[in-house]
Amino acid sequence: MANQYPKLGRQPPQLRHTAMVAAAGWLSAVGACERPADPTQRITISGSAVGAEADVLKRQLKRFMLGHPHVRVELLQTPDAAEARHQLYVQWLNAGVGEPDILQLDVIWIAEFAAAGWLHPLDGFAPDTNDYFPAALRADRWNGRLFALPWFVDVGMIYWRTDLLDRAPASLDDLMEMADQARGAPGVYYGLVWQAARYEGLMCVFLEVLHAFGGRIVDADGSVAIDSREAVAALTFMRDAIHTRGVVPDASLTWQEEQVRFAFQNGQAAMMRNWPYAYGLMQDPAQSRVAGKFSVMPIPAGPGGTSAAALGGSHLAINAHSPDPQAAYKLLKYLVAPQQMLERARGVGQFPSRQSLYEHPELAEALAIPPAQARQIINHAVPRPVTPVYAELSELVQVAVHRVLTRQAEPAVALRRAADEVRSLLVRTGLSGPQTEDDPAASNPRGSE
Amino acid sequence: MPKQRDSGIEAADARLAWCCIAPALLVIVAIALVPLAWAAWASLHRNDLRMPWLGQSFVGLGNYAEAAGDARFRESLAHTGLFTAVSVAMELVLGLCLALGLHRAARLRGVIRMAVLLPWAIPTVAVALVWRFMFEDGYGVISAIWSPSSGGWLVGASAAWVPLILSDAWKTTPFVALLLLAGLQTIDDGQYEAARIDGAGRARQLLHVTLPALVPTIVVALIFRTLDAFRVFDLIYVLTGGGPGTSTETVALYTFNSLFGRLRFGYGSALSVIVFVVTFGLALLYIRALDPQRRGGDR
Repeated sequence: MANQYPKLGRQPPQLRHTAMVAAAGWLSAVGACERPADPTQRITISGSAVGAEADVLKRQLKRFMLGHPHVRVELLQTPDAAEARHQLYVQWLNAGVGEPDILQLDVIWIAEFAAAGWLHPLDGFAPDTNDYFPAALRADRWNGRLFALPWFVDVGMIYWRTDLLDRAPASLDDLMEMADQARGAPGVYYGLVWQAARYEGLMCVFLEVLHAFGGRIVDADGSVAIDSREAVAALTFMRDAIHTRGVVPDASLTWQEEQVRFAFQNGQAAMMRNWPYAYGLMQDPAQSRVAGKFSVMPIPAGPGGTSAAALGGSHLAINAHSPDPQAAYKLLKYLVAPQQMLERARGVGQFPSRQSLYEHPELAEALAIPPAQARQIINHAVPRPVTPVYAELSELVQVAVHRVLTRQAEPAVALRRAADEVRSLLVRTGLSGPQTEDDPAASNPRGSE
Repeated sequence: MPKQRDSGIEAADARLAWCCIAPALLVIVAIALVPLAWAAWASLHRNDLRMPWLGQSFVGLGNYAEAAGDARFRESLAHTGLFTAVSVAMELVLGLCLALGLHRAARLRGVIRMAVLLPWAIPTVAVALVWRFMFEDGYGVISAIWSPSSGGWLVGASAAWVPLILSDAWKTTPFVALLLLAGLQTIDDGQYEAARIDGAGRARQLLHVTLPALVPTIVVALIFRTLDAFRVFDLIYVLTGGGPGTSTETVALYTFNSLFGRLRFGYGSALSVIVFVVTFGLALLYIRALDPQRRGGDR
């Protein structure tokens, strides 16, 4: 709509000034929710905007507007819950609306939105991508083109009690052994706590154990591999950790991040698998009994695999129907600049997606967690499969894993069924073949436009 | 001549009748039939909101074929049948006992009835949350006393049904009781008197007077409860989310997941149409059972 007055810029400066003053006056009179007939460019951005996160973002948007007086940025309120925001985005983008110009995307949505043709490719702006973590950047590409830039990264990690354990576990078996023994300490009921409710968090835990056993969800050649021998071994290990060894409580089968954090910060568990957000919260002695008594590490390697940390995080992308992608990109570029990332780290403890910042002295004082430690874990980050049907794929795997962990099915049987379901999903959606990982989708015309 | 005049009057009456019911009919068409037809039409198409590259082509009965081959859908149908049968049976028996008790209660009738109705007045989501807390891991009131596993009731594929069915019975038994109570009050005292004179005891009075007279009310209660139970959504969505795994997933929950989780509007519409056909069929069966002529003929 800003294009309604494309010639205003050529008018005499005085007139332009008058118009702007008038517009500003009217703006303040009617409030920000009205669409003013002013000559300024309007950019809308949406994302997670509650609490401290909203404060940081609003501050940054205000600064951007000071530097760009002709641009007015509006923050569109969207639900904070990822699923609800995803659903809203899909409905908006399907309808082809041009708002919001900039979208905050969870790392697992990018391929889906890119394949649907809902994102404006960023290659034309030639952003410098060398500094970003390669694992994060991999999720930003679809069909060989760049559709988003990493805003901040999230990694799964093992928190372990330094007062109960004298060293970090060296392997997955070692971890189980140590967690088991630490259970003897007074008040420590659980060896290890993790997210095992049937939701995306379970997928992340499974992904980490799977990699620790050398397995994959989707092989390098794009074939579905969740019924491999390694996957069966990984899932058997998870089930036995709960039901045979009893190191992991079966209550965790209904737990998400917060229940897991409460168990650990109340001192009931020797180890915990969780995201970085818990670190700062648990260092607060007012609410945490384990403040100063824990350290973090990536989940260690098991037999035949590697140490792995599930990669999460948010990325910024531009709506394909944005009336002014150039203007939107300016804001996007500003938000992913090093200074803004440091501010986010300080304000809400989110890990920057730029590697160079981990050498930056400011990050050390901004983050609760030592940057070198964070960096070490991010180096082990493994992305979830980059495919447009990730959400459906994940749901099928979650159901299989949860059925096994609640002893309704044997690992091999459940995983074979899930693998078959994922394969027919890929066939049904025209994605079967080698394109599910990073490779272009030959059978995906919309994505290759 | 008189015949003609009669038919003229009848025709005029019919016209008037049509005019009178036309607004109601229009409303029904607009809010019930049109969306239904729309859903049926959508169910013949592929419309995956998340995968626009697949297009929105006409696929005939393709979605129904997929549903027939979908193990999770079949399982959800079985879950729904189990939930409906057990919970409705419980509600009917408990509701009948409650109604008989209320009917006899002479004093404080109003207060007792209000107290009985309370669970019915609480929003289902709140009920589901409270019951979840009671049965969750080691800390719930119930699971602290006894639980089939240390993780509480909600991590057991069979155990998770217990809070679901109990909470549904707790919440809706009052509704059944109230309906049956209304039915009890229509029974003529003379019938009991006659039975007593014939030497019938309490039990025989119940079997041969009360229950036969109550059949129409019972059928009405059954219709309401069966259709509601078959479409159960909010209770399960909040209490177990369909888990563990998918062991408590009902048809309505699976349809919701297909429609609003996976955003598969074609397939989800097909599932909704199937649910509609089943519930409509059940309603027809009950209504036939309610038909007094048919019931009379059966005897």
